[in-house]
Amino acid sequence: MKVKKTISMIGTHLLLTILAVIWLVPILWLVVTAFSAHPGINTWRFFPESYSLNNFYRVLFKPDSVLQYMAWFKNTLIIAIFTCIVSTIFVVMVSYAMSCMRFNGRKGLMSFSLILNMFPGPLLMVAVYFVMKMIGLTNSHVGMIIVYSAGSGLGFLIVKGFMDTIPTSLREAAKIEGASEAAIFTKVVIPLCKPIIVYQIISSFLIPWGDFVLAKLMLNSGISSDFTVAIGLYNMLDKGLIDKNFSAFCAGGLLVSVPIAILFVIMQKCYVAGVTSGAVKG
Amino acid sequence: MKAEKDQKSENKIKKAAFGNALAKGDIWVKLSTVIMGAGYFARKQFVNGILMTAVQIGFILLVVLFGVPSLSKFDTLGDVQMEQTFDPLTLQSTMNDYDNSFMILLTSVITLFFIFVFILIWIWNIKLVYQLQLKKERGEHINTFREDMRALVNDRFHITLLALPTVGVVLMNIIPILVLIAVAFTNYDQKHMPPSSLFTWVGFDNFKNLFTNSITISFGYAFRKILGWTLLWAVLATVTTFIGGILLAKLINNATTKWPAFWRTLFVIAIAVPQFVTLLLVRNFFANAGIVNTICSNIGVTGFLQNIGLVNPRLTYIPFLTDPNWAKAMIILINIWVGVPYQMLIATGVLMNIPTDQIESARLDGANKFQIFCKITMPYVLFIQGPALITDFVKNINNFNVIYLLTQDVFITSDQLLANSNAKEVDLLVTWLFRLTNEYYNYKMASVIGIIVFIICAVFTLLSFSRMIAGGREEEYR
Repeated sequence: MKVKKTISMIGTHLLLTILAVIWLVPILWLVVTAFSAHPGINTWRFFPESYSLNNFYRVLFKPDSVLQYMAWFKNTLIIAIFTCIVSTIFVVMVSYAMSCMRFNGRKGLMSFSLILNMFPGPLLMVAVYFVMKMIGLTNSHVGMIIVYSAGSGLGFLIVKGFMDTIPTSLREAAKIEGASEAAIFTKVVIPLCKPIIVYQIISSFLIPWGDFVLAKLMLNSGISSDFTVAIGLYNMLDKGLIDKNFSAFCAGGLLVSVPIAILFVIMQKCYVAGVTSGAVKG
Repeated sequence: MKAEKDQKSENKIKKAAFGNALAKGDIWVKLSTVIMGAGYFARKQFVNGILMTAVQIGFILLVVLFGVPSLSKFDTLGDVQMEQTFDPLTLQSTMNDYDNSFMILLTSVITLFFIFVFILIWIWNIKLVYQLQLKKERGEHINTFREDMRALVNDRFHITLLALPTVGVVLMNIIPILVLIAVAFTNYDQKHMPPSSLFTWVGFDNFKNLFTNSITISFGYAFRKILGWTLLWAVLATVTTFIGGILLAKLINNATTKWPAFWRTLFVIAIAVPQFVTLLLVRNFFANAGIVNTICSNIGVTGFLQNIGLVNPRLTYIPFLTDPNWAKAMIILINIWVGVPYQMLIATGVLMNIPTDQIESARLDGANKFQIFCKITMPYVLFIQGPALITDFVKNINNFNVIYLLTQDVFITSDQLLANSNAKEVDLLVTWLFRLTNEYYNYKMASVIGIIVFIICAVFTLLSFSRMIAGGREEEYR
């Protein structure tokens, strides 16, 4: 019996190790290629022949007509910060209205917005592009912020779900003390929602870093310094440019991945903490 | 007490039907149909009256100045072609006052939407004014403006909260959807590109084209092929990552597994890197002249695959992302790589809450691990995750990133019929649509495809969410 258990334990760990290797090989390749001294793709061996920090130096300090990493980073950061502020405020407001208030047509509005939210983004982007073009906001930060955050109120499901677990008695007590609905919202409910709000902040902050479709359509000036990180890095791999830029692409990808990975892990923790602590309160 | 009273009067407002209000309303109510503020002035709610009248004037100005020029051409979408005339005297060319079909369409749709909203406001306003009349007749208290404003942070706080997000949704979702639907009934494509040329209404022609196969039009063929692959992909992608996620979660959270948090982190690292980085990287990893091919031919895998007929013997490489069948298989495999860690995280959360007493009693009854997994764990997980599974399915139908980043610029179709309609074997409906608009400016067909995708998605979404909302589960934990 004990032998059998040991074998199954070794088997489990062996399987996990194999799987982990499969999952990490591309990441490892990203890291080693970023440090490669050879600028193009390494097609004949996994590890580069010689290592250097030149790619990072180029990405950070030597912008050229194709590679404008710091400008991309700055653009994306500005867009991300404002997107995150606007959409977090929108989502929290909508969630409170949907979760804590009772008004005519609430359920209808909820079903309607859930269906609307399911309308696939890529389908709408063409029309969105024309609306933005009419207002004259293509190729601008403001336009991108609007595109990412204006419709964000529809994504209220997770935060609302959390607010649903806050006991009604808390709000009723505040009401008896004479607090207005607005005061209950800002002073009672928001402080209780901290973990899920952090989750919302991080997840909306990450949208502009990962988005590819809308940015590609909206930022069509062809001027490299207007791009976001995703579009800029994608363009570096153009057929004519890939041989000169592949390892710089890896370096740039690695640089943007580190902060995003950290935020992603924090977000996951907050999500789990939010969901479980919410359930306990009931 | 006050809140209760407000609640009651609010109910009455709802009950007061529009027709009733018009029939039984006094002269002020009737006057409100023309001047929206009239009813308020009569009840001494001057600020409300001024605001309502201002809304009305603003709306009329908007329609007259902005809407009417477009709406008047809405039936033809414009008929003045752009022409340039060169004046030999001033050596300057001048443009005539041409029509831009798209701007006409866009402003008309926006104006029609505003008119619709305004009619709703107008009806609501008359009901409200009639309500004021009734209150006055009964000698009830009529709110001052200050009290009305205070209600916006109290009983009517939801209006304050929802106002701005609603404007955003109208701008980013509703108007684009309406424009998209309208474009599907026009001939807006590369040959009819405003501003240099006009486009017009064509009725259901585009929908017919989508199901037509002829020498000139191969959309019917392409649509059938791509729809088939889209659905197959969505099913396979959802099922494989879902089951993979559960199995991985079980493996990591197994009682015999040491350091579960460490293993979990390893897998999370892989998905924490942004998708566009990993997918573009993987695409080069598996390129025809890429590193995997080098390794495979060095250790003889390429030769072996050629011998068993999986790789065309004329090729010197494995066409991971360039042969239709290989590419489809690779896309699904790579999607497992992308998706399983996400599902693992979710499944971990679900598995933690699984009722252990059931498993315990099943074990006492002599069930083995496999039986427990199939008869207890899976049904429980499916029960909890059912709606999420349908959501994932819909998301996969529209999974743009994986397909586009892996195959764009790499995969070239050899099927002439597909190429005629700008499609590729590995395309999903969304990527096809994106290419049609972004590269070929075929907006009419893209809109038709968009509507079809929406119908497919809406059916599945309704299936999943009718349960969630109708079930009344939202107050379960209170």
